[in-house]
Amino acid sequence: MTISDCWAVEVHGLTKRFGARAAVDNVDLLVPRGTAFGYLGPNGAGKTTLIRVLLGLTRADRGTMSLLGVPVPAQRGRALARVGAIVDEPRFHGHLTGRENLRVLAAARGPDAEQQIGPALDRTRLTQRADDKVSAYSMGMRQRLGLAACLLADPQLLILDEPMNGLDPAGMHEMRELIRGLVDEGRTVMLSSHLLDEVERTCDQVAIVDHGQVIRQGPISELTEGAGTAVQVQCSDPPAAARALGQPASVSRIAVTEDGLTVSLAAGPARKQTAQINRLLVEAGISVYGLRAAHASLEDWFLSVTSRLGEDQ
Amino acid sequence: MNELRTWLPTMPLIGAKLLELRKRRTIMIVTVLFTVALPVIFYGIRLAYHLSDPAQYAPAGAPDAFATAVTLMDEFGFIIAAVLGVTAGTADLTDGMFRHLVITGRSRLALYLARIPAGLLILLSLAAAGFTLACLATGFLHNPLPAGAVTPSPGAMADTGLWLELDLIIGFTVGLGLGSLMGQRTVPVILLILLEIIITPALAGHALPHLVNGERLIVGVAMDQLKPAALAGGIAVGPGGGPRQLNLPPMPVWALVAVIAGWIIGWSVLGAWKMSTRDA
Repeated sequence: MTISDCWAVEVHGLTKRFGARAAVDNVDLLVPRGTAFGYLGPNGAGKTTLIRVLLGLTRADRGTMSLLGVPVPAQRGRALARVGAIVDEPRFHGHLTGRENLRVLAAARGPDAEQQIGPALDRTRLTQRADDKVSAYSMGMRQRLGLAACLLADPQLLILDEPMNGLDPAGMHEMRELIRGLVDEGRTVMLSSHLLDEVERTCDQVAIVDHGQVIRQGPISELTEGAGTAVQVQCSDPPAAARALGQPASVSRIAVTEDGLTVSLAAGPARKQTAQINRLLVEAGISVYGLRAAHASLEDWFLSVTSRLGEDQ
Repeated sequence: MNELRTWLPTMPLIGAKLLELRKRRTIMIVTVLFTVALPVIFYGIRLAYHLSDPAQYAPAGAPDAFATAVTLMDEFGFIIAAVLGVTAGTADLTDGMFRHLVITGRSRLALYLARIPAGLLILLSLAAAGFTLACLATGFLHNPLPAGAVTPSPGAMADTGLWLELDLIIGFTVGLGLGSLMGQRTVPVILLILLEIIITPALAGHALPHLVNGERLIVGVAMDQLKPAALAGGIAVGPGGGPRQLNLPPMPVWALVAVIAGWIIGWSVLGAWKMSTRDA
């Protein structure tokens, strides 16, 4: 297996076991340079374990990996020199200020990193609170400090594990803007998340992981293209409407909402299927106020390809 | 790039660890208390007694006061050194910084080794300050000397200071290694306090059957055999309040050095190994 320079992250046949359970199971993963790449999966799917293995925080049982074209763990130090990462909830020395924590990390990085402290604090909008003790920081501020720590490396690749965790809507928007800004500068951002909406808004490409295995990967637009259509139905008595529809072969999922149903259609002629839904509801005595077809979201597609669909039902 | 691959800690890395340790307010206060404040309080009390009744109480700087002050500084100092070592060995883990540090790509061995000079710089400088105060008190507050008493010479004081600093180095490095090995603070601190105040005095004072004099491999027992003559006549520190007297066959100096080096190097290797292989 040759390691290519085209990929920011390249993984082949990676396996990490905890006892009999494979947290990462024979994973192949290619993250193109210069993109925002989502590593998406339900809780416990093995997202954090893969990231920990990539960063050398724990050892793989099998497989080959490279970061920015440099093989790891063989040349881990060289590979990580231009990689910034947040793994799990970012924690720091609570008795030190944000700036002092960055000084500690910059000292481990090397002399250039010390110069990056000010710009990193500015970029993450922490300058005003940089001299407060971290023990007084909110979760959102610690997430931003984690990102500032990543920026000390002037990274070509950022690996962010659930970066939206604990953020309020404004914080999530800010983090999204930061990530997009980094990608616009030509950096690669690989982020793991279970928040489908955030991944869809932030990322260009995505890999879906479930039970330690990558199920699909590629550009979001391509992956959702073949996932069919969702029809939003406004009607009287949505639970009765769901029962009336049953689960015909052309329908992959029915979700009852406050004022109607969201019916995810399997790939096929959407117009004909929408008309059939209308007919079934009218025949069952349900008043239909409106039918609106939309492309399937990443969530619809995600649920259709992971084990989560079965769990929900 | 080469810098990241090296296992030697850089000056900034040592400085960063020094910053992290010296900003821990509680442990710094306790360390100052038992290294610098202890001799100040001790000699202050002795001076007050002497001034109140010079006929009954010997001068503050009498030789027995020097022995007692240094013995106290050694007993408490070892425990403080161990606590500081354990803290240096576990703080990154317990605070969640270890993961950030590993992600920098810096050699884990360099991260471990940086803790040694950082911690010792704090500990030894404070202990040196406290010991200097004891020496000054002995030098300037010893008149009138009690009959038959001899003030320790500068050379004897220097020997005593080096012995004290060596004991603190042992406490720190063993604490650092044990803390890094166990990854938590409480148990190593309890173990090292037990070692200092119960196990060592017990083994030094009572030759236990079936140990074939193996007690001599305890570092505190080895250090007792190297104790400078200036410390004779100090307070009792043995079990039950009795004097700590060795009831063991003496070991040659090379063997004592080997035991001490074995403890320092052995625990350091164990701590560094665990830090290098630990999941972050």
